[in-house]
Amino acid sequence: MTGIEAITAHNGWAISVVGVTIVFTGLTTLALIIAQLHKVLDLWDQRSQLWQNFKNRTATQTAPTYEINLNQDINEAARQFKMVVDRLGQPFALPKLLEFAENCGLYRPCSTLNILLQEKMITPDGKGYYLWTTDKESEA
Amino acid sequence: MEKILDLYLLFMNNTGFFMADSRYIIMIIIGLIFIYLGIAKQYEPLLLVPIGFGILMGNIPVFKGLGLAIYEDNSVLHYLYFGVRAGIYPPLIFLGIGAMTDFSTLLARPVLMLLGAAAQMGIFLTFLGALAMGFEPKEAASIGIIGGADGPTAIFLTAKLAPYLIGPIAVAAYSYMALVPVIQPPIMKLLTTRKERLIRMEEPRTVSKREKIIFPIVAFLLCCFLAPAALPLLGLLFFGNLLKECVVTERLAQAARTAIIDSVTILLGITVGASTQADYFLTFNSVKIFVMGALAFGVATASGVIFAKIMNLFLKTKINPLLGAAGVSAVPDSARVVQHVGQQEDPTNFLLMHAMAPNVAGVIGSAIGAGILWSFLVH
Repeated sequence: MTGIEAITAHNGWAISVVGVTIVFTGLTTLALIIAQLHKVLDLWDQRSQLWQNFKNRTATQTAPTYEINLNQDINEAARQFKMVVDRLGQPFALPKLLEFAENCGLYRPCSTLNILLQEKMITPDGKGYYLWTTDKESEA
Repeated sequence: MEKILDLYLLFMNNTGFFMADSRYIIMIIIGLIFIYLGIAKQYEPLLLVPIGFGILMGNIPVFKGLGLAIYEDNSVLHYLYFGVRAGIYPPLIFLGIGAMTDFSTLLARPVLMLLGAAAQMGIFLTFLGALAMGFEPKEAASIGIIGGADGPTAIFLTAKLAPYLIGPIAVAAYSYMALVPVIQPPIMKLLTTRKERLIRMEEPRTVSKREKIIFPIVAFLLCCFLAPAALPLLGLLFFGNLLKECVVTERLAQAARTAIIDSVTILLGITVGASTQADYFLTFNSVKIFVMGALAFGVATASGVIFAKIMNLFLKTKINPLLGAAGVSAVPDSARVVQHVGQQEDPTNFLLMHAMAPNVAGVIGSAIGAGILWSFLVH
């Protein structure tokens, strides 16, 4: 059996239509979800702020005061760098940490490292190596 | 003296020179062409060289019963071929692909994922074409998956549905994947205007590490809940990607993208090549499979490009329709072809990074497509 007759007999039309529909549905749904993913993560980062705002609003019914929390980004960066430091072991060489961070694809590793140094999350050990300061991490 | 002559005669009768016929010679020439294309033209050398040498290995005429040929139960090649027949090698290759793939561009512009879905039209249209040509549904599905332009997926599905066709389908799939730079550009140019080919893409947004870590988990759960039959392929693809992105398993990711994928590619290439033994491979069906395979690649490319043009009717910021051609999952060759064709019109237009989005979406799409066909036709 060949031609259109064969396609119909083997249910080819239905399989193709359903197949294409499922592939499109799957990838469209995935696209929709990942398009919202960064927004959901931003909301999650600001959850304490949002909760505070909500509580203030319900308690006083006054206009909410917004406070931009600049520490969220550096907290996230610190968490990622901490994972790299854990793999390197302490004390560690700064260039090695930078190389690992670049290899792992961390976002803007040079400037983040600079911020971590300024924040004293990473401190020199006096022998040419550096240490991760746990107290500062928890403060941030 | 007579006994010595008899022994010589017996030995001569068992040599390849004595047993070879024209079919073996044709297959050996095909194997040599594969090796030539891989080494001299550098078309997918990591695949064509092992497959080409495998074709040579599979087409040395051997005395049946000695346990040498791939289709003899106790041969070494037969044991190695188990990984193909049981569908073990393709998911391991997907593990390596996952550990190598950066989904950033896809995460930055998820809409480009639709191009990866559109290009899978090639699978289903070729499936219909193969049915019309008189193939059984399981064979037609195995032929259709060539349109996914994904060698491991094609082998995986064929191993499940029509294992006796693995040789011709794998060779057709990998041949056309190697010929992507030859097959795709004429179709892309035919379906687009110069103005469309000159469209520049917007810079993608920066994607955070957390998004990259969450993506493989979310994508795995969603895709495999939708098409559970894609579990072996997509499971290992996304697991490989998670190993890469989560930072803490860098050693495992390194193993997946180097030692594991390289070893499996060697075994897969050699055994798939060796499975093209002349008496199994040189049939009229193989010719039909090659014709349908070429058609599948053409239809998949055209579907992606046309869908990109349709999307442009609705999008405020137009996308370059050449990106649609990267929806076929031949990673990263079809993305490179998009870059090349785009730069022929405007050398300062860089499309490669953007083309990687539909390209990796195509990998996901073809695995889902394979899962769907498998679940429909397995009984």
